[in-house]
Amino acid sequence: MALAELKLSSGETALLEAFPPTEAGQAARAQITELGLPTRRVETFKWTDVRAALSEGKPQADGSAGLIPDCLQDALVLDFAPDGFGLEGEKDQGLIIETEDSLPIEGAGPLASLAAGFAPRAVVLRVTASQSRPVVLRRHPGAPMRVRVELEAGTRLNLVDTALATAGLSTGLLEIEVGTDAELVRYSLQDGKLGAIDLTQAIVTVAEKGRYHAISLMFGGKLARAETYVALAGAGASCLIHGAYLLSGNAHADMTTKVVHASPHGQTRELFKGAVQDKARGVFQGKILVERAAQQTDARQNHHALMLSEGAEIDAKPELEIYADDVQCAHGNTIGALDDQALFYMRQRGIPEAQAKALLVEAFVTDVFDAIDHEGVRAWFSGLARTWLEGRAS
Amino acid sequence: MLNINNLHVEVGGTAIIKGLTLAVPAGEVHAIMGPNGAGKSTLSYALTGRDGYAVVGGTATLNGEDLLELAPEERAAKGLFLSFQYPLEIPGVPTLTFLRTALNAQRKARGEGEVSVPDFMKLSRDVAKKLGVTPDMMKRPLNVGFSGGEKKRMEIYQMALLDPRFMILDETDSGLDIDALKVVSEGVNALRGPDKGMLVITHYQRLLDHIKPDRVHVLAGGRIVDSGGPELALALEADGYDRYKDAA
Repeated sequence: MALAELKLSSGETALLEAFPPTEAGQAARAQITELGLPTRRVETFKWTDVRAALSEGKPQADGSAGLIPDCLQDALVLDFAPDGFGLEGEKDQGLIIETEDSLPIEGAGPLASLAAGFAPRAVVLRVTASQSRPVVLRRHPGAPMRVRVELEAGTRLNLVDTALATAGLSTGLLEIEVGTDAELVRYSLQDGKLGAIDLTQAIVTVAEKGRYHAISLMFGGKLARAETYVALAGAGASCLIHGAYLLSGNAHADMTTKVVHASPHGQTRELFKGAVQDKARGVFQGKILVERAAQQTDARQNHHALMLSEGAEIDAKPELEIYADDVQCAHGNTIGALDDQALFYMRQRGIPEAQAKALLVEAFVTDVFDAIDHEGVRAWFSGLARTWLEGRAS
Repeated sequence: MLNINNLHVEVGGTAIIKGLTLAVPAGEVHAIMGPNGAGKSTLSYALTGRDGYAVVGGTATLNGEDLLELAPEERAAKGLFLSFQYPLEIPGVPTLTFLRTALNAQRKARGEGEVSVPDFMKLSRDVAKKLGVTPDMMKRPLNVGFSGGEKKRMEIYQMALLDPRFMILDETDSGLDIDALKVVSEGVNALRGPDKGMLVITHYQRLLDHIKPDRVHVLAGGRIVDSGGPELALALEADGYDRYKDAA
């Protein structure tokens, strides 16, 4: 049976030219030629239409990579630019940085394939001893990023990744291997200022008693999707994934996660909170899969979102799939508006309406940041959230 | 001070207050009593500007200034305070943050400077002691996990901190045991003054043993149907509201 040949959009055709002549670039080109970019017809992309966003091919990049905040002045900064990558700051013992060819990545989905395809090289961070300095992965406008992080047994690393371009396509692929009893803490900040397209995928494997903690803050963009895939491969492995999204204008942000419990005694803690106004759109898709072998899994997922105006949209798809019989799993999902009675109560005490709303939204969202151990980063994220809220209030 | 003239209020298209006239001069405490459904809470919400309480006729002024044109927060800044019958829980907002924000917002609206954090802390502690508000209550999110009595004490605490000119107390005695009633009443009485006014809305006479009113009004069917001195409250306690059935 002959398959009808896929007719590529002009955007897709234009995109094919943009991949570098690497193996992964070729693979990505072949994948787009065969399947096209993901559209609403693909179940996991039903609320995030990548093809439509890239209808004009690879958009012109603009903006800056953003400044490193004071709280991260001691960090080692890896800058990803469209034409390569650079290093800034001091490197401690026990961190080996290498580059390697960007090889194709099988079966990891379209975002991973795109990001692997665009990256000219892959940067490898090998952690052989715990790191006190955080490592910042800073993406410049229009830059692709591919990073592999390998944490040896018992080591620890704080990773901060930022994508702050105002326009252009930026792609990211993070492959993370957390060794036995090792811990990776990741803080992510994305702000596409309404114009940028940001597609980032993290693929994480956690060995026995290892820990992956990720806390992210997204302000969206023309289209922003942060996809996380975590395999809790070893017994007693755990992950904590917290995310906040604050969206206004026409911003679109998508937080998609899948956690697979493959071994016993694993633990998952997910907390996502969002506030969406104007014509913005927030997407949350969260799947937790507990395999038969993963007895005594303890997994909790929560997503709660606020609609701050009529035209806003929030799409949520929480999913639990459980094949083990001795587990504790729970999930909660709510979408609501601000409480009118609470608002009136606050206004009766003299707090102007906009300020009252900002206080309520801040109180609602910021418990996502309670899991941030790094005091400076917690203050940084809380401050960015407050600035957004005050911007609404003015 | 507070002057209400021929006020008409609708809720969801239904007339609840139907031509209410009332004047509370500075320095006086007036009580409003009435049966359930008479419009007591509607009156307090209409005066403070809650959405959904539509004033369709009449006037209400505080010290000669039209209240009805103002947003709720502007009325608060003019010195109008409502002690809620059912105080709201505000999760995630610490009590002290809430109160400092409210106090400074009111001061800003009046063109006064902000109160510094140390000054505010001292003020809040001094007032708290008098009302039996514990440091733990001040640290928790506003009213979250508070008992009914604690919430009412917190209302009076807020009232004392914000130092309003005109206070409406909506069923402040409900949910209070006799000891809490005493503490709350003492707190309220301390806020009486020659340039202040108070409207005490209550279903029962017992609150008025503790907060002695200058005048008592009976609200029934959306109107003031009787007014008198404190003795009127005692008569109501003895005879009930039946005799006002027709007046409404």
